[in-house]
Formats: sequence, structure tokens, C-alpha cells
Amino acid sequence: MNCLSPDSKPDWKTYALGEMEPEDRRLAEAHAATCESCHHELATLRLTLDALSTLREEEVPRRIAFVSDKVFEPRWWQRIFNPTFAAASVLAAAILVHAFVRPSSDAQVQARVDAAVTKAVAQLQDQQVQAEVAYSLVRDAREDVSRMYIAATGLKRQ
Amino acid sequence: MIFREVEDPDLIAKARRGDVEAYNLLVSRWEKRVFNYLLRLVSNREDALDVSQEVFLKAYQNLPKLDDPARFSGWLFRIAHNEAFSLLRRRKPESDLAREPRPPATSPRLLPMELSLAVETALARLSPDQREAVLLKIYQGFKFEEMAEILDCPVSTVKSRLYTALDLLKETLAPAVVSKEA
Repeated sequence: MNCLSPDSKPDWKTYALGEMEPEDRRLAEAHAATCESCHHELATLRLTLDALSTLREEEVPRRIAFVSDKVFEPRWWQRIFNPTFAAASVLAAAILVHAFVRPSSDAQVQARVDAAVTKAVAQLQDQQVQAEVAYSLVRDAREDVSRMYIAATGLKRQ
Repeated sequence: MIFREVEDPDLIAKARRGDVEAYNLLVSRWEKRVFNYLLRLVSNREDALDVSQEVFLKAYQNLPKLDDPARFSGWLFRIAHNEAFSLLRRRKPESDLAREPRPPATSPRLLPMELSLAVETALARLSPDQREAVLLKIYQGFKFEEMAEILDCPVSTVKSRLYTALDLLKETLAPAVVSKEA
């Protein structure tokens, strides 16, 4: 039996190159079993591919230069501005800033607290003295007023 | 202990972070395939070696631009394709070999080495586009879609080049194999 029309003929190149879908592949194989011309075409294609497969890969005559070779060496700015360097720089900057901003020891913290307390106590003492002075002035003034009142009422009775 | 080979995407990630040994390993993995592809395409050992060197240098420089590390092979062969055709364009439009008369369709009985030579000759007689399609499909095992990406053309063009090449190769090689087996 031969193919009745070109449309019914499977795409043998796609088949032989392994790009045909499994279902189409199964149908094509069933067709080749009964179609003499397709059977012959497929056999010829396989012979061609077999012949192509006899060509062996050749060894590379000399090795391709590696990255570590001179030709692959990065420029000085590429060496410096790599992600690792950038991350290390940020970390170092953070450590330095932290070191300058943060008090160097607990003793310094205590000293600052003591100074603040002393200042606050002194301010309170000043305010207390001023309050006492003000209180004595008010007391004196009140006594003066009382004396003036007694004197005034005494004059009236007389 | 189960030994697991380091995958290409892992090596690419390391190479991107500046690990030169990872890239060296990639080179050693792919140099033979790239060299052979270029050797068949440009048909000259020294040129193939020089272009291979250029391909791996460009690949290293452009590694950060590789979007999908899983598609490294296609990307690498795309660079190889560009470099090879750049060289072919600089050469004369038609080589002396291409002007030689074709051998008779029916070859005499061939020994294995002679068959390899017949294959080399048959491949050399194809146009560069046809030859490249055969190299990528038969020898490098790429799918039609991958070939279309490497060659930057539609799948239909890939198939057209490949099928024409197979018809031409069939004319020369199939009779040679038949006579060898007879």
C-alpha cells in the first residue's frame, strides 16, 4: 500500500528528529508498517542520521583560557565595586557610627546621671531658699499690716 | 554518600558573585561542545578556537544579563552563533570549497573513517544556515523552539532550513551507507 494523498503522509523528518507528539508518533508507525513508500522514506532518513552520527566530537586542541587567566582579569574598579565589597563597606560604616554615638562605658553613663541629679537638686535648693525668703517677706508684711491696724483702731477708740 | 553534581545554575550564581572557579568549571563543561559546533560551522580549527575563546569571554562579561540561568546552554550558543556568523561575514562570500563540484550521488563502499570524511564533506557543502541547523539539532540536541531562540528566527524557518539540509544530506549519505552495508 502507498499513500493516497500527500496530506495523509506523516512528517517523517519531524518523526526521525524526535519532535513528533507521542500519539502522532504511534499513528505514523502504524502507517509506515503498511505503506511501502513511507517505509522506504523513513529507512533512508534513518540511514542518513546514522551516517551523521559517525562524526565524532573532536577534542579542544588547547584549553580555553580560564577566568583566572590574565585575559579574564577584572579591571581595578570591578575588583573594588563588587557586591561583597559594598556590603562590607556598609557594615564597617555602621560599626564606626555606632562606636562614636554610643557611650563608651557604664561609668560614663553613671557620671552623666549623677551630674543631672546634682544639677536638679541644686535647682530645687535654690527654689527652696527663694521660697523661704519670699515667705519671710510676706510674714513681715503681714505683721506690719497688723500693727498698723491696731494702731489705727486704738486711735479711733480714744 | 550520595554525590550530587553541582548544576549549571548554581555555578552561574556563584560566578555572578565573583567566584572565578565556578566559571572555570562552566568553561570546562561546555568548551568541547562549543568548539565542535564552531569547528563544523566555520570549518577551520584555529578560527574555531579563537571564536570559542571570544564566546566564553563575552559570556563571562554578560553573565549578569542572563535572565534565566536554566537556559544557559541556549544563551551560550546564541553568543557562539553571533560570533561565528560575524566571522563568516568577514570572510569571502563564497569559499573555494563551496565551488568544488559535488561528488557522485552513489559513493563506492566506504570504511568508517571514509564515512566520517564523507559526512564532513557533505556538511561542508551545505549553506552556513543549513549546516548550523543540522549542528544544533543533530549534534547539540536542541529542540526546534530552542533553535529558534538561538538563531533569532521563527520555528518555521528553523524547520525549513533543517529539512532542506536533510534532503541534501540524504542524497549524498544514504547511498554511501547502503553501499557500505551491502
